[in-house]
Amino acid sequence: MKKLNSAALKKVLKYVGRYKFLLILSVILAAVSVASSLCIPVFAGKAIDCIIGKNNVDFKSIKNMLAVIGILACISALAQWIMNMLNNRISFRVVRDVRNAAMKKLQILPLSNFDRKPVGETVSRIISDADQFADGLLMGFTQLFTGVITILGTLGFMLSVNYKIALVVVILTPLSLFVAKFIAGKTFSMFQLQSKTRGEETAFTDEMINGRKIMTAFSREGKCLDEFDEINERYSKYSLRAVFFSSLVNPSTRFINSMVYAGVGLSGAFSVISGGISVGALSCFLSYANQYTKPFNEISGVVAELQNALACAERLFELIEQAPQTPDKESAITLENTDGRVKLENVCFSYDKSKELIRNLNLSAESGSRIAIVGPTGCGKTTVINLLMRFYDTDSGKISVDGIDIQNITRESLRRSYGMVLQDTWIKEASVRENIAIGRPDATDDEIIEAAKASHAWSFIKRLPNGLDTIISESGSELSQGQKQLLCISRVMLCLPPMLILDEATSSIDTRTEIKIQKAFHKMMQGRTSFIVAHRLSTIKNSDMILVMKDGKIIEQGTHDELLDKKGFYYKLYNSRLSE
Amino acid sequence: MNNKVRLTEYIKGSRLQCVLAPLFKMAEATLELFVPLVIASIIDTGIAKSDKSFILQRCGLLVLLGIIGLAFSITAQYFAASAAVSFVKRLRHALFEKISLIPFDKLDSVGTSTLITRMTSDTDSIQNGINLGLRLLLRSPFVVFGAMIMAFTVDANAAMTFVIVIPALSVVVFGIMLLCIPLNKKVRAALDKVLCTVRESLTGVRVIRAFGKEKEQVEEFENRNSALTAIQEYTGRISALLNPLTCVIINIGIAVLIYKGAVRVNSGLLSTGAVVALYNYMSQILVELIKLANLIITITKSAACASRVRDVLALDNEENSPSFSSDENSPVVEFENVSFAYDGSNENSLEEISFKAFKGETIGIIGSTGAGKTTLINLIPSFYKTSCGAVLFRGMDVSSISKEKLRNSIAVVPQKAILFKGSIRKNLLWGNGNATDDEIYSALETAQAKDFVHEKGGLDAEVEQNGRNFSGGQKQRLTVARALIKKAEVLILDDSSSALDYATDAAMRKAISEKYPETVKFIVSQRTSSIMHADKIIVLEDGKAEIGTHDELMKTSEVYREIHLSQFDGEVTG
Repeated sequence: MKKLNSAALKKVLKYVGRYKFLLILSVILAAVSVASSLCIPVFAGKAIDCIIGKNNVDFKSIKNMLAVIGILACISALAQWIMNMLNNRISFRVVRDVRNAAMKKLQILPLSNFDRKPVGETVSRIISDADQFADGLLMGFTQLFTGVITILGTLGFMLSVNYKIALVVVILTPLSLFVAKFIAGKTFSMFQLQSKTRGEETAFTDEMINGRKIMTAFSREGKCLDEFDEINERYSKYSLRAVFFSSLVNPSTRFINSMVYAGVGLSGAFSVISGGISVGALSCFLSYANQYTKPFNEISGVVAELQNALACAERLFELIEQAPQTPDKESAITLENTDGRVKLENVCFSYDKSKELIRNLNLSAESGSRIAIVGPTGCGKTTVINLLMRFYDTDSGKISVDGIDIQNITRESLRRSYGMVLQDTWIKEASVRENIAIGRPDATDDEIIEAAKASHAWSFIKRLPNGLDTIISESGSELSQGQKQLLCISRVMLCLPPMLILDEATSSIDTRTEIKIQKAFHKMMQGRTSFIVAHRLSTIKNSDMILVMKDGKIIEQGTHDELLDKKGFYYKLYNSRLSE
Repeated sequence: MNNKVRLTEYIKGSRLQCVLAPLFKMAEATLELFVPLVIASIIDTGIAKSDKSFILQRCGLLVLLGIIGLAFSITAQYFAASAAVSFVKRLRHALFEKISLIPFDKLDSVGTSTLITRMTSDTDSIQNGINLGLRLLLRSPFVVFGAMIMAFTVDANAAMTFVIVIPALSVVVFGIMLLCIPLNKKVRAALDKVLCTVRESLTGVRVIRAFGKEKEQVEEFENRNSALTAIQEYTGRISALLNPLTCVIINIGIAVLIYKGAVRVNSGLLSTGAVVALYNYMSQILVELIKLANLIITITKSAACASRVRDVLALDNEENSPSFSSDENSPVVEFENVSFAYDGSNENSLEEISFKAFKGETIGIIGSTGAGKTTLINLIPSFYKTSCGAVLFRGMDVSSISKEKLRNSIAVVPQKAILFKGSIRKNLLWGNGNATDDEIYSALETAQAKDFVHEKGGLDAEVEQNGRNFSGGQKQRLTVARALIKKAEVLILDDSSSALDYATDAAMRKAISEKYPETVKFIVSQRTSSIMHADKIIVLEDGKAEIGTHDELMKTSEVYREIHLSQFDGEVTG
């Protein structure tokens, strides 16, 4: 645990290091602020010394002293304010940087990562954990510097009065640090557990909000609440432990400090009796001992807070440090103006390496040809697309475009060469315009409208309250599945890349509209290599080649007529349609 | 939004802790006040008489005070932690419950991201605020006012300075709090935006990568993140004023106090020692306020979060009533002149629709994309309220009966196949918690899902979040099975075979009509083949309906004919 803890700390310091200058400035200001506020009592004391008795008050000196106090107070306040602002800036920017790094990482993580992990869990890391990290960091900066400087300052004063008693203090106080460290070490693991369970709770909430309709339809509110309560109960349990144990630090160190105080009292009193120091020096000493130990208290409190911050930071770093997808090769070329000759040779692939899915898949698509992939659900059609787009890399075998192994092509240029429409629509929280122009942000309104018309989305877009400027909300509930699919098709219509992937692209669109879109698709597919996954045989029949897949293998291959003549699996599929 | 929600309600179960925590904290503070007295006696008695055993004894007393103080403060910390944690636990419970009960139009307009931050980050912040608040909030005023009272016992005239300083301090403290609460609310809103981008990056990862939009996504995130940081820094600048301002006020107070004291000493009304005492009391306030300042920042944050949580809790629940008296002779489902418009839309999505569905009937619903098919079936389980007209279930208006009983009589398979993390069995048992394995398998068989469930390793096979380890068609079949297990009077299939091949789709429909002859079946589909044998077909076009059988509609409805021909033409002539 401890190792993790210090490892996380080192990483945090790396991010903090970017703001070195601000940090140094903050420390200097802390010193100014502490020094001037430590001096105020000295001048107050001097002023009081001028008040001796009735008709024996030196008003002139008092006024001078009080003016000095006023000036010192203002200097201290100003320094402190600026220091606070600097600390704010450092901690918020550090967290901003860490969040940005996490987000950047998300973009290069392999797809398997997203397919495996609940959305809410990652969200919790980037949002809640980062938030707590910011809190802890801020508190740390604000109290750590002033605390340390106060300690050093008072230590100096004490040593100058009597070094023997000062040594008692110096030797005893590390005890409180030791205790603080001990408790902090124990609580770190509890904070980790708390963070982890928080992630679990976020994931569950996310899932349930998404599935609210099902929850309501099945009257599962009660059951889901029970399930939530179970997680909530655990979260609270860990949370209580983490909060309580970390809050033990403060009383414990305070206890040790009071022991130090008693120790100073004892040794001080004895040395007064033996004539070592005066009573006045003792009382001065005691008050400094008090001032000296107080920051230890605060620092130990901060240590607890920092434990939580570190536990949270660690989860963020875990995300940031995940292995990215294998980067594009140095020599990788940018695919431009491809002919669209796609070839798969002996491709093998499976998600779960213990369960074979695709084996020795061979396919050769000529430039401008239409390849349809059919087969029962779960036969691996979508997987082929995952491989073509390089969302996943093949386990063995080779996929090439224009004779170039796609391993030697930059991912971005490969993917941009495909226009992809998936069954699972994804709409951004943005205007309709931005959603359509996602692949070509520089497109003019005319071009966008043109594309929307081609995909027959224009008729509903123009009826939306603000036309192209209508903002689609996060849930996208104002659009039907079919309308969302039309928007996704408009996106591709606008880009017109050299190759197309249509994975059940029209599954939610009614057939009348679909026929109209088909015409647009036909036009679009002219001279473009297209891969089409569909259940509607009408969409498939005109393809140059139909691949019939079953259990990860191509079992039949040919044109519609050839396959019907074969009277094989395709024939059976096709007839089940006609028998209705 | 008119309901007044008081979060204090959730503190009820922890009242005792909430009282005990500050009390123990105060007891500890009181003990601290004894320490100077003990030291005084060491100096006055012990040192003066060189009585070493007396000094030892008194130092022993100091140790004892320390131990008692430790015990008190640990107790206080425990009560504070426990009160804060259990308060927030109840709060989260209430929030989750609220999220599961608010009507869909509200859920749509509030948005997922913000609900998630409110549920997690905000409640954490509230917990932190309560924990620290219980520990310090009482202690600080106690020390501040205690010091003032002590000052009055020393010299009422000079103590008047306290009467001016303390309100000035309160103005600063509360003024900054009031400024910061709305600012902190803005911070949270900015955080929601950041969260939204994160979620989008996760849910849209394939599309983003397909279009090579990773950079833009990062850019948008960085912009939103920077906006968050900017507002955080702005808020921080204001809250950072607190401590310096209070210090200046107190130091000026000290200066005034010394000067006043000097005047009174000069005229013989006060001793020098009394001035020292007054000065000490003012310093005590200073020390206490430094502690308080950090707390105030936490509290304002916490208050902003609390008000966000309160906003969600204040949303009205879906209307509900316990009444449920079904009339067996009425049609199972009846629409009476139903019109419907979504919130904020001035166009009707459905217009004056009327039809009746009797026991065992199959109702087909067909129409263009966006014609209102899903809207129509969403009205049957009363997911949304009609704008005009009524939806009746067995003669009862669905808007004014027990929603639970209504929904228990209806099984819905929504368009979007959603599965939850857990096993296959766990997902299917949503339909009926008491279903036996035989019943489950029978439903899976009807839904044509038995084979792949076997392949996946049976009912205990794992379902990942959102059912990501299943293909679209598999998910659809599992959601159909889940609905079948319910054995409800009404079964609604909302285009739930769109990802299935024709053969599987046909087999599924056949099995359903054979095994569930009594059930009213609503089938929404794009394919006329799926619904042409239905008893009634509702053809929707721009929210208006034409109703009839296949043969009738082929004659009367141009839209229906077009749809039908588009499919059969497409097949036959290609």
